[in-house]
Amino acid sequence: MDKKMSIMVVDDEAIVRESLFHWFKKYGHVVETASSGFEALEKLETYPFQLLFVDIKMPGMNGIELLEKVKTQYPDTLVIIITAYGSIESAVKAMRIGATDYLLKPFKPDQLSLVMERISIQKRLVTQYNYLKGHLEKITRFDNIIGQSSEMEKVFSLIPEVAQSDTSILLVGETGTGKELVAKAIHAESLRSHLPFIAINCGAIPESLLESELFGHQKGVFTGATRARKGFLEVVSGGTLFLDEIGEISPKMQINLLRVLEEKKITSIGSREPVDVDFRLISATRRDLKKEVAEGIFREDFFYRINVIMIEIPPLRKRKEDIPLLVEHFLKKYCQETTKYVDHVTRDAMELLRRYEWPGNVRELENAIERAVVLSKSRTLGIEDLSFIRPPDLQFSKNLSLRRMEKAYIQQILEENNWNVTQSAKILEINRVTLHKMIKRYRLERP
Amino acid sequence: MTSKKISVGVMPLGNISEIVLQVIADHIASCFKLATQILSSMEPPDVAFDERRLQYNAGIIIEAFESIHFDNHDKIICVLDKDLFIPIFTHVFGEARQGGTCGLVSLFRLMKNPDGSTPPEYQIYERAAKVALHELGHLLDLLHCEHKKCLMHFSGGTDEVDEMSLDLCEYCSIYLQDKRR
Repeated sequence: MDKKMSIMVVDDEAIVRESLFHWFKKYGHVVETASSGFEALEKLETYPFQLLFVDIKMPGMNGIELLEKVKTQYPDTLVIIITAYGSIESAVKAMRIGATDYLLKPFKPDQLSLVMERISIQKRLVTQYNYLKGHLEKITRFDNIIGQSSEMEKVFSLIPEVAQSDTSILLVGETGTGKELVAKAIHAESLRSHLPFIAINCGAIPESLLESELFGHQKGVFTGATRARKGFLEVVSGGTLFLDEIGEISPKMQINLLRVLEEKKITSIGSREPVDVDFRLISATRRDLKKEVAEGIFREDFFYRINVIMIEIPPLRKRKEDIPLLVEHFLKKYCQETTKYVDHVTRDAMELLRRYEWPGNVRELENAIERAVVLSKSRTLGIEDLSFIRPPDLQFSKNLSLRRMEKAYIQQILEENNWNVTQSAKILEINRVTLHKMIKRYRLERP
Repeated sequence: MTSKKISVGVMPLGNISEIVLQVIADHIASCFKLATQILSSMEPPDVAFDERRLQYNAGIIIEAFESIHFDNHDKIICVLDKDLFIPIFTHVFGEARQGGTCGLVSLFRLMKNPDGSTPPEYQIYERAAKVALHELGHLLDLLHCEHKKCLMHFSGGTDEVDEMSLDLCEYCSIYLQDKRR
C-alpha cells in the first residue's frame, strides 16, 4: 500500500515549518506549509491534505481554533498538535476535540517516526474498512438506491416484503430511475440470492436473437449456430431473471414467455425435448402497459402474468429532496474511481442541481457528477463545474409537436453528452443503431 | 553502483580525526563508486550555535555551506564533533536535504551507546560511515526506505544505526541508477 501522504505543516515560525518540510520530503510525502490558521484553511479549500501538523501557539487563530474548524469542515483530515512542554492541558483539550495525536517539542526524530507509523496503520485500516464496507453493500443489497424521500421509503419497504415470495414483479419507472438496481435488491433479499441474477435488455436485442438468447438453440439450426447453446432461461437455473424493457418484445415472444411462465418448461430452438426451468421473473418498463393492453398492443394475459405485483419507481423530479444525498453518494463513488478528491458542493451548484428537472433521472445526475468530478480542479464543485447543465426550456414549450419535441430532446441529450452516441443512447434507452437512424432522420449535426 | 561522474568532498568542520575522514571517504568511493577527496578543515558558522540548547542548528550550517561554490566537488559531506539539532527535534546524527549539495555528519552522539557506555573505536567509524552514506543518499535524491537493513532506513538511535547495513536495498539501488541515468 502506498504510504505517501499529503501533509501540511502549520506554524508561525518559519524555521519549524522549514524543518518539518524537509523532514517529510525525505519520505516522499507531498508537503505544503502555512504560516497561520487562515492560510491553512485557504489551502485546504483547494487541496485535500490528509494530515496537518499544527502548532498550538499561533497569533490570530491558535491551533485549537484551527483544529475545531478543520474537524467541522473536513472531518476526515487528521490533525497532529505540536505543543511545548508544560502545555499538557491544551494537548488534552486538542485530543478531546479530535486531534489524532500530539507531540511535545522538541521531540526525538523517532517519536515522529512512531506517530507517522501509527497514522499509516490507521489510514490502512480505514481504507480497508471503506473497501470492505463498499464491497459488502455492493454484494448484499440496496447498492446505489439512495433516498430518504417518502416515495423512496415506500419502495424500500416493499423490497423485503416482495423478495420473500416467488411472484412476478413489474417495475415501472422512467428511464434512469434505477429499475435494475431495485431488481437486484429484490434478488439479493430473496431466498434465491446465492443463485444467478441475469439481466436482459429486451429493447436492445433484435427479436430473432432474443429468442435464441432466452431459449437457447441446438447445433446447426441456423447459420452461425456452430454449437448448441443454453438459453438464459435455463442458465439462470434457480435464480432471478430480469427482463428490462419488457414492453418492447413482440406479441410472439409474449406468447412464448407466457407459456414458459405457466408450464415452467422450455424447448430450445431446434429441439423437441422440453427442459424444466425454475426462476423468478422481474420485468421492467417505462411504458404505460395498461394503456397498451387497452389499445390491444400488449397481450392482456401476459401483462397480468408478469404484473402480479407492481412497484412504481418515482422520477427524480418528484423526489428532489434526495438530490443532496445522491450527489454525496456519487461524489464518493467517482472520487474513488478517479482517485480525485472532491467532497464539497457550493450552495449555488447544489441549487442548480435541485432546480434542474433531470429528464434522464438518477442516471443523468450520476453522469453529471462523474463529468464534473473528472473535470474539477479543486475539491469543491462550483456552478462553473456544472455549466453543461442547462435548465431544459423544452419541457415548458407547450406548442411543440411531438416530432419537434423528440428532435430537440435528442439534440439536447447528444450535446449534454458531447455527442457520445453510446452514452446518449444509454440515457435515451434506445440502441445505438436507432439513435444513429434518428440523427440521420432529423438531420442533427454537431455544432 | 552508479556510473555518472559526481565528485564528493569530505570536509572536517573543526578538528576531526584523519581516520574517521578516511573511513568515510573510502566508504563513499566503494559504496557509491564516486570520486572522493578529503578537503581541508573549515569551521561551522558561529550563528549556527544555539545558546539556549547548547547545540548547533543543522539547517543554518547547511544553508551556509550550500551558498559556497566548490569548484571541483558536486556534493560536500561535512563532519563535525558538535551536537546537532533541527528545530522541533532534540538532536540529529546527520542532516541533508533532498537533492541538496551539502550534508552533515555529527560524531557527538555516535560516540556513546544507548546505555551510556563507550563503543569500540571501529564501531564509531562504522557508524560515521553509515550516517555519511545515508546523508549522501539524500543529496543524491534517495528517500527514506522501509527496509530495516537498507542504508536509507531512518535510524532514531545508535542501536538502529548499528543494525543498518552499509548497502542500499535492491529498490533503492535501482532508484539511484534510474535517477543518475
